Amino acid sequence: MVNSKAKYVEVELEKYSLKPFDRFKRVMKRTFKGELFVGLGIVFREMVRFNIHTTQYPGEKLPISPRYRAIHELLRLLESGNERCIGCGLCEKICISKCIRMDTHLGEDGRKHISEYTINFGRCIFCGYCAEVCPELAIVHGPRYENSSEQRAHFGLKEDMLTPIDVFKKGAQKEYPGFGAPSPDADKRIKKTPLAY
Amino acid sequence: MKEITIFIDGKELKAIENEYILNIARENGIFIPAICYLTRCSPTLACKLCMVEANGKRVYSCNAKAKEGMDIITTTPEIEEERRAILEVYDINHPLQCGVCDKSGECELQNYTLEMGVDVQHYHIADSKKEIEDWGHAKYDPYLCIMCERCVTVCKDMVGDAALKTTPRGTEALDKDWKDKIPKDAFSIWNRINKNIIGRVEENNRCEDCGECIAVCPVGALANSHFQYTSNAWELTKIPATCPHCSAGCLIDYEIKHTDIENSECKIYRVTNDWNYVTLCGAGRFGYENKNSTTKCEKDFLSAMDAFLRADTIRFSSFITNEEALILQRLKEKRGYKLINSDAYNFQKFLEDYSKTSGSSLYSGSKRDIHSSDLIFTIGGAMSNDNPNIRFALNNSGKLNKASIYYSHTYRDKIIQTLSKTTTEIVYKPLKEELVLLLLIDSIVEKSSIPEVISVYLESFKEKRVKTIQKEIKEKVLDEEGKEIEVAKKIDEEVEYVHNTILDELGLAQEFSDELKKDYSSKSSPILIAGSDLYSHKRAENIARLLGFIEKHSNFKVLLIPTSTNTLGVSLICDLDKEAGDYVIGYNDIGDYRLSSLGDGDLDMPALNQQEGTFTTIDKRVVPTNAALPYGGYELNDIAKELGVFSKETIRYTKMLPTKSGFVEALFDELPLEYTNGGVDNRGYELEAKSFEAQNAIDAADISSELEGDIVYKRDPISQFNEFTKSSKLLEAKDGIYCSLEFLEKRSLSSGDLVELEIGKESITHHVYVDDSMDGDIVALSTFQSRKLDHKIFGDGYRYVAAKIKKV
Amino acid sequence: MSAYIIETIIKVVVVMLVFSALAGFITYLERKVLAFMQRRLGPMYVGPYGLLQVLADGIKLFTKEDIVPSNANRPIFMIAPVISAATAFIAMAAIPFFPEFDLFGHTVRPIISDINVGLLFVLSVGAIGMYGPLLAGMSSGNKWSLLGAARATVQLLSFEVVSGLAILAPLMVIGSLSLIDINNYQHGGIFDWLVWTQPVAFLLFIIAGYAELNRTPFDLLEHEAEVVAGFATEYSGMRWGMFFIGEYANMITLAFLSALIFFGGFNDLWFIPGGIAILLKVMFFIFLFLWVRAAWPHIRPDQLMWLCWKVLMPIALVNILITGIVVMI
Repeated sequence: MVNSKAKYVEVELEKYSLKPFDRFKRVMKRTFKGELFVGLGIVFREMVRFNIHTTQYPGEKLPISPRYRAIHELLRLLESGNERCIGCGLCEKICISKCIRMDTHLGEDGRKHISEYTINFGRCIFCGYCAEVCPELAIVHGPRYENSSEQRAHFGLKEDMLTPIDVFKKGAQKEYPGFGAPSPDADKRIKKTPLAY
Repeated sequence: MKEITIFIDGKELKAIENEYILNIARENGIFIPAICYLTRCSPTLACKLCMVEANGKRVYSCNAKAKEGMDIITTTPEIEEERRAILEVYDINHPLQCGVCDKSGECELQNYTLEMGVDVQHYHIADSKKEIEDWGHAKYDPYLCIMCERCVTVCKDMVGDAALKTTPRGTEALDKDWKDKIPKDAFSIWNRINKNIIGRVEENNRCEDCGECIAVCPVGALANSHFQYTSNAWELTKIPATCPHCSAGCLIDYEIKHTDIENSECKIYRVTNDWNYVTLCGAGRFGYENKNSTTKCEKDFLSAMDAFLRADTIRFSSFITNEEALILQRLKEKRGYKLINSDAYNFQKFLEDYSKTSGSSLYSGSKRDIHSSDLIFTIGGAMSNDNPNIRFALNNSGKLNKASIYYSHTYRDKIIQTLSKTTTEIVYKPLKEELVLLLLIDSIVEKSSIPEVISVYLESFKEKRVKTIQKEIKEKVLDEEGKEIEVAKKIDEEVEYVHNTILDELGLAQEFSDELKKDYSSKSSPILIAGSDLYSHKRAENIARLLGFIEKHSNFKVLLIPTSTNTLGVSLICDLDKEAGDYVIGYNDIGDYRLSSLGDGDLDMPALNQQEGTFTTIDKRVVPTNAALPYGGYELNDIAKELGVFSKETIRYTKMLPTKSGFVEALFDELPLEYTNGGVDNRGYELEAKSFEAQNAIDAADISSELEGDIVYKRDPISQFNEFTKSSKLLEAKDGIYCSLEFLEKRSLSSGDLVELEIGKESITHHVYVDDSMDGDIVALSTFQSRKLDHKIFGDGYRYVAAKIKKV
Repeated sequence: MSAYIIETIIKVVVVMLVFSALAGFITYLERKVLAFMQRRLGPMYVGPYGLLQVLADGIKLFTKEDIVPSNANRPIFMIAPVISAATAFIAMAAIPFFPEFDLFGHTVRPIISDINVGLLFVLSVGAIGMYGPLLAGMSSGNKWSLLGAARATVQLLSFEVVSGLAILAPLMVIGSLSLIDINNYQHGGIFDWLVWTQPVAFLLFIIAGYAELNRTPFDLLEHEAEVVAGFATEYSGMRWGMFFIGEYANMITLAFLSALIFFGGFNDLWFIPGGIAILLKVMFFIFLFLWVRAAWPHIRPDQLMWLCWKVLMPIALVNILITGIVVMI
């Protein structure tokens, strides 16, 4: 995508002459060209126009992108409200700052259950790989970026991240549209398995 | 054993004639896909992936034997097509839940599916309901099972329990139409998968919970129920080590990871093995829990120093590394301690006597020799219990080489009977071991090499007897019509023959001797295995010499099974004493001041999975082991340093092991710890045997003494060896008295009853259990639970004692 | 006599307080102006439109822990900022800020001390201020501080020459060193301003002034990307605050000097009374400081030296020469 209007000029340093007189001429040319005053003019103009772009956080907040990667959330299954996490451990494996740890065990129903899940936010770099790799869309990034707290562990335990059941029942659990989420046309792209019988 | 040259994919390879092509390829690092074949077992032909073209003909490389000049191509487009179809068949209805499968990516099905590029499924059938089954340590999920039958094969051909089988699933047969749409091999596999699942043998299930079936399972169908879902395989760090429980010294991998989220200390999650080369027993696979988490406490250390300054004797067990044994030896040299280790002492003496007649400082056999032998004679040990790997090897050569097994012991072992089609059991009474060996000498050793004393002695058992045999003769008689006809008629005839009363004594038929001789002369690699009953025998000296004599004067290789993990190493390194002094320090043994790896002594010591060092195994190899878990306390080297025997680390002693006993000057860190592709044990190094002039100083048997009353045999249940295996909660075998069902009924006892054992002045009460494999009147008492009990009852002597058994 | 002393003391106190407060206020102005020029709002939360930000910063500076690094040369480290601040205020002693006015029937001369060599006094005391950064940097025991101090010394020494030579030309014209005389020389309205006759001298003086005050584009000695905070790296709390006050006091001094020497001082301008006129002029110069900071990038140390010795000093000499010839004729 080359913008035909762009006027980029490549500076060729070799073209600069090093002869004393040429250098003198160059200095004089630059000194009296008045470019310095252009700078002064621009900032003065901006001051007079008073076109301020400041957002006065925390009073005002900018809407964040749905793909923003902040503190993680563990989601629940839409129908049953059970935890989505199947304990496959891919997030733990892919995590490049090695901040995810999980304990799993054999549940009484013969399935794999996670007993505890933590993210060490002292180490997390919010790269989003965990959300991207998660096959169940269970671990996702939430929009919460304000995380001052007495302890960094305050956000990193399973019960902190898992959607509370009352929130879930109100239908307030938000789906995650970021990396790893199915694309809007995912339905169309599904290929039926020949094992259908 | 003719060496031939074959070509695989144009590569020229040397091989032994009649070896399977797949094995040759594996040995030389050539990849031929195969799921069902296990290197040391018989071909199952279940997966058919290993198809290759040999001289232009399609064969299955796992059961096609190599012939001179064979030209083999491992893959062609047609073969690839077939393999892909087979994989597609395997993938039919295989649950797509790899994310939560306990196999977590170590899956051969997954690998091959990707390897063969299966991305579309052409075949389908409705799945039927199957039950997930719980088999003790194993959990069977038939949905994941691909019916490769590796578990069945390993249980039959290696372990010898044959506790698994294929059973019909009871589903409808495949639609006939498929037959035309699908390659032949793939279709036959589909048929098989569709018809069968794996099941347990219901009657007389001999499963010993070794877990080998779990290890060989290529998919997640057989899961270790203690490990299942506790960790993904990729999170675990493998620490290669040597199993510390018995002298087999199997190569194992401790798989470790942090304990949980809060606790970052490492924990062993499971033990795995390279099942193509190594087979583990239950103790090796599940007996890993014992560890000593302790910290340094200076007060305890100072009291230990006081004890060492006061002591004049160190009593220690053979569950010790070579290096620590050397430290003890150095301490003896420096401070004059007496070193007491009864089993190593007995073994040391036994080996000395053995080498006098064999002319070699070490015995000649090894575990691998058993696997490749075709005649095996064992004496003086409960092989299944003392050293499960010997049992596995017996079974393996029985099944694969059709080896004849002669199993002589004081009672019949019903498991051994099943190992080979030609198993002969010889039952002798305790203290009569010499007779068996003399019989063997009589049968197989050239008459001319037998010393006169012995031949005279042997002749004394032989007497000329007359026996009546029926003989059929043909007689000409005249029939009624006066014609001469031939009529068969049986008449009794008295024949004179030589009757050998030794055979009577051992309950064998008179033909046995000749049969053994005939068998022996037709076999090329016989091996004689001697167990630990013999080392503490009161006639041990002569028995050892007899064994040495056999080794010298016959084809037999002899293998002496060291009593426990490092008995051989200790006996080669330490200068042991017989009598203890006044104040005894017990290192994992009884004593006045106790150093213990179990944490129950006066000063804690690291467990063997927390130590680096070397063991000397049954194969006369010095093999390294690594520390799987961290240890925070003091170790023997710390004490030695204080006492003036200085070396910075314990493993620096590896280099200093005595070369006069056959050790090699080698640095610990340079010792290899692996098997070659061909399955050759390449760990550490082999001890150098010294050879010298052999004497024929063997003696006649002394069979005058006998044990009176009930006979109690010191024998632990399978997969239990010592206090360390006992502390592993996953090993469930109970301690107690084991007896045959017959004995139980005779004494009108029932399993679980308390009985009182009166042995001399001592008396103990214990539960009595039935051991299905036992036969006869001898009862077995387990001593793994406590060294004290062992010492009290058996006094570190002969494994049989006379006792009185009463119901309480 | 005692009345004179009392008057002087009062003047000193007033100057001290007013200019200290002004220094603080200029920081507020600076932040606001820079913000507006960069389309920002600047401080907004403390007080209406962030007006009390200065107070908050002051409280912060005063209450902050006074840290002396263990490897610093303690007495010198502690005294260096005092030198910096003190010289800045001492220099103000010879500056006439306003025209004379009557207060309660008493004629007040808003100059602490009218020395006949006033300008020389201001310049020389300002030059002594160089010891502040120099000693601070050398005593801190920190390589960034040392580099900052070296830069400060080089820069101040070099530009002292330029400013001295630049001011010489107007002095030759006026013939007095007293700032009141200089002011009075330009009493005849806007066309008497020296800037018309000595424009080159004014430019040189203002450039050298920027350099001596380490203002952008010559703020090399505390350029963060290169030497962290230069000589002030190890300073915190009020000691750092004194450097700060010194710098802003010097800015005011320079603004007054420029107004007095080149822009007609406190002479009445048209309808504007002299007192207001000089304030407006000073305010313009202060604004110029901020304006320049918002617009221009800073230059490299080698360019700075090149500018000083190869460009500005020759021009200053030529200027003196020409002025001399003109005066002689």
